[in-house]
Amino acid sequence: MEKKLLETDVLIIGGGSAGMWAANRFKDLQPDKEVVIVDKGPKDWGGLMTMAGGDFDAVMPDENIADWMEDFVYYFDGLCDQPLMEEILKCSFDRMQDYQRNGCTFFKKDDGSLKSVPQRGLPHVKLYPAQLKGRGGEMMVRALVEQLQQKNVKRLGRILITDLLKQKERVVGAVGFDTLNGDFYVIKAQAVVAATGVGGWKTSYGKNTPTGEGVELVYKAGARLKDFEFSRVWNMPKYFGWEGQTTLMPLGGRFVNALGEPFMEKYSPILKANTDPHFTTIAMAMEIRAGRGPIYFDISQINPDDLVLLKPQNGWQLMNYEKLRDLGMDLFRDNTQWVPQMTISYGGMDAGIHGETNVPGLFAAGTARSTEPGVYAGGFALMTTSVTGYLAGEGVARFLEEQPQVEITLDEDEISSLQKEIYAPLGKDGLSPKAVLTEIQQIMFPYNVSIIKTETALQDALHRLKTLQLTKIPQMAAKDAHYLLKLREVRAVAFVSELYLRASLERKESRAGHYREDYPQRDDAYLGWLTIEQDAAQQMQFAWEPVPTAQYKYPITRYYSDNFTFIKKD
Amino acid sequence: MIASIDVKKCVGCGNCVNRCPLDVIRLNEQKKAYIAYPEDCMTCYICERYCPAGAIYVHPFREALPKIFTQEY
Repeated sequence: MEKKLLETDVLIIGGGSAGMWAANRFKDLQPDKEVVIVDKGPKDWGGLMTMAGGDFDAVMPDENIADWMEDFVYYFDGLCDQPLMEEILKCSFDRMQDYQRNGCTFFKKDDGSLKSVPQRGLPHVKLYPAQLKGRGGEMMVRALVEQLQQKNVKRLGRILITDLLKQKERVVGAVGFDTLNGDFYVIKAQAVVAATGVGGWKTSYGKNTPTGEGVELVYKAGARLKDFEFSRVWNMPKYFGWEGQTTLMPLGGRFVNALGEPFMEKYSPILKANTDPHFTTIAMAMEIRAGRGPIYFDISQINPDDLVLLKPQNGWQLMNYEKLRDLGMDLFRDNTQWVPQMTISYGGMDAGIHGETNVPGLFAAGTARSTEPGVYAGGFALMTTSVTGYLAGEGVARFLEEQPQVEITLDEDEISSLQKEIYAPLGKDGLSPKAVLTEIQQIMFPYNVSIIKTETALQDALHRLKTLQLTKIPQMAAKDAHYLLKLREVRAVAFVSELYLRASLERKESRAGHYREDYPQRDDAYLGWLTIEQDAAQQMQFAWEPVPTAQYKYPITRYYSDNFTFIKKD
Repeated sequence: MIASIDVKKCVGCGNCVNRCPLDVIRLNEQKKAYIAYPEDCMTCYICERYCPAGAIYVHPFREALPKIFTQEY
């Protein structure tokens, strides 16, 4: 194994949508500076975007930003970072146009206008489906990679960044390792953008790579985190992966219980099935707990003319559909069994509009920064990751203009110690990362921990997790560099699980995507974001950052969660 | 989950190896692709889609996960 030293102006960790947009925008502004993108996956694979359907939220020029803002303030139960969201919405159409200029196409109606699909029963928020259902995200990746090639952005794949380097208080680089041959990397940089995605639990198609090493990395460097009580609990087919149910629900798709009842009408007489999946999965869990499971997906109410929008036309989605059909499982003919499944965490860095964090020299982009409190409108991620990536590129450019260039002197003792720590599990006998991951999933997946949360279940899970962190995590071993990556992933999954459990215990109310059965009402005392920082004793410090309602433009007068009977009003 | 790679059909181009997001596939000394880390497959089909020789088969079922409910489902 070799030791490799790189030096650049900007290091971007993560080569997905946000990382590529950050690099792209930065090079527009400072074409002579060097940018390196490092990703733990293959070079230029594009992260989760490569597997996205390509649906995009955007505010069209003839629409009002204020209308969309009112939707999001309501949808987020007040936990909307209003200046940030306003900026995201303002920039959304420009980013969609950028994609169209670079060859990405969206679905058009017969009259040539773009087809849109309203989201979650909200009056204004809507997505624009990609023309090539099944390859929309791939086309976007291709378009961005071409831009980066033209702008001489260096891209490296299969390297996991494990630690940030600081000089005084400023981040000045990172270390990591090659996940194929184990080479050790030291990268000096004047600034770092963390576009590392979220944490998660390695549950299904598309959700096996966001495991939270980025969260652990920035937390150790002193970054403030927030929103870890919110996780994405998605409705998924029991046996296979599927993308695109977001588009199915507004067009008549619905879930029914074992008795054939469309149960969402009972839990939300106003929105019925056309609502946010996080509320659907709470209802699914309640139905199953009451003995009315399993749950099936029913497409009988969808207008046949709309099926063209829903049936996969190419890419992995078509291949998946055809293979399942060959096995006698046709989502467009039969009722298939679905389950509520915890997938990823919504928590991320607490950052300003241009990605600036509380750590000088460290910027946040995409889902590595938190933007939504456990609810999710279809098309939201491709909009927010493109815009926040773009804004982080601008933030870094301004930072490098305003801050003096630093002469980076590496602390060889620190680097040697980090190197030793990285490779310590290599070549030893011990527990396999996969076995430990399964144990973490066994702790986290039960419905009273992941969906209908209670103090007792969360405390029990936390106790079991802490025991696992003390007894099993240190015993994991890696026989090669591949397993060294998996080991770091599993360690991060455990870390994110701890953040989730502790944060879920702190928020003693139900709001947005966080549902506590023992506190089933909203409480104004919790109208704020729960932040987490590491203190001097390396303990997690939780603090409440109240929503600054007096300074905010849009008053919080309505709450999306009021649409559901399981949220108590008094 | 990735089910099989037909050694006779594999042309050793390395497309699957280079593109797999989870590093599941490697080339052996004979320049043939093999499933090196099957437990890490996430059923994304990238390998099968980019194989020019039709040598790879991915089964559409995802891996079974720990239970959410005490009931079977």
